[in-house]
Amino acid sequence: MIKMRSIMTKEVITTSLNSSIIEAAKLMTAKSVSSLVVVEKDVPVAVVSEKDIIYGIISKKAKVRDVMDKEFITISPMTKFAGLSRYLREKKIKRFPVVENKKLIGLITETDIVEATRDFTRFHQIVQEVILTIFGLATAFFLFYFSPIGAAIFSR
Amino acid sequence: MARIKNIMLTNVPTLKKEARIEDAAKVLAHNDSGCVVIVENKKPIGIVTELDFVRLVASKGKNLKEPISRIMTSPVTFMAPKMKLDEALKIIDTKRFRKYPVVENEELIGLVTKKDIVNAISDNLRLHRNIQNIVLVVFVLFEFFVFVLFGYLSQYLPFGA
Repeated sequence: MIKMRSIMTKEVITTSLNSSIIEAAKLMTAKSVSSLVVVEKDVPVAVVSEKDIIYGIISKKAKVRDVMDKEFITISPMTKFAGLSRYLREKKIKRFPVVENKKLIGLITETDIVEATRDFTRFHQIVQEVILTIFGLATAFFLFYFSPIGAAIFSR
Repeated sequence: MARIKNIMLTNVPTLKKEARIEDAAKVLAHNDSGCVVIVENKKPIGIVTELDFVRLVASKGKNLKEPISRIMTSPVTFMAPKMKLDEALKIIDTKRFRKYPVVENEELIGLVTKKDIVNAISDNLRLHRNIQNIVLVVFVLFEFFVFVLFGYLSQYLPFGA
């Protein structure tokens, strides 16, 4: 089963409570990420998404602390994939800071999950095809072996 | 196999092409779909996502009064409602966008996201796998049955064994 450690983004881009929204936007653009984690002494206190930034710009807010989203769930690197999909689908939470020993070590976003599902699906398809091929060949051989032609060829 | 029209969202936020950047920002901030489609007589001519907004407006400082056409992505890659999910996945793999308007007869009728397509395929595959497993079990039983009975049946076969 996929563990969060293998699919998380390890280089989390962090920002502080008092930085400005424009700074946060520039940071997002420069690092090509869609969310930042707001940390206070290495402890994640909130997440900021693209949507929060847009909201901040049209409502003329200045600081990250005014727009940040405090409703997030931290997860451990050993959390399993299945446990997370439930949050994603039912609770509409899209960003999960990964915390180990009270320190922020990674971030799981919707994109990571979609990519992992995509890869997992592809892997599964291949496994399924291989199993089917082996069974198909075995069955074909089996039938051939016991058919009149097979009997002649294998001179039983 | 499911098709695009079964998984698309139908309430797509849209704006006319005369709209300004700030109108788009309002729509983006109050809507969960993460993008707004720019339409001209129901035909989609461009799309603005949260990403475009942050990249072009927030960090490069474009003026909010400028027309939306300055920041929209145009032309748009769209999908047909009858398209199968794996065809859609091929488009996604080559284009690498996250949101795709669904268009029928040059009219916008919905929106699909990469996430929805991948999730739908994954669910589909799970169902498929279960069916396949049942078929395999039946097959194995059948083979076993034939194998066991063969010794007994072979005496009646014309070619001998």
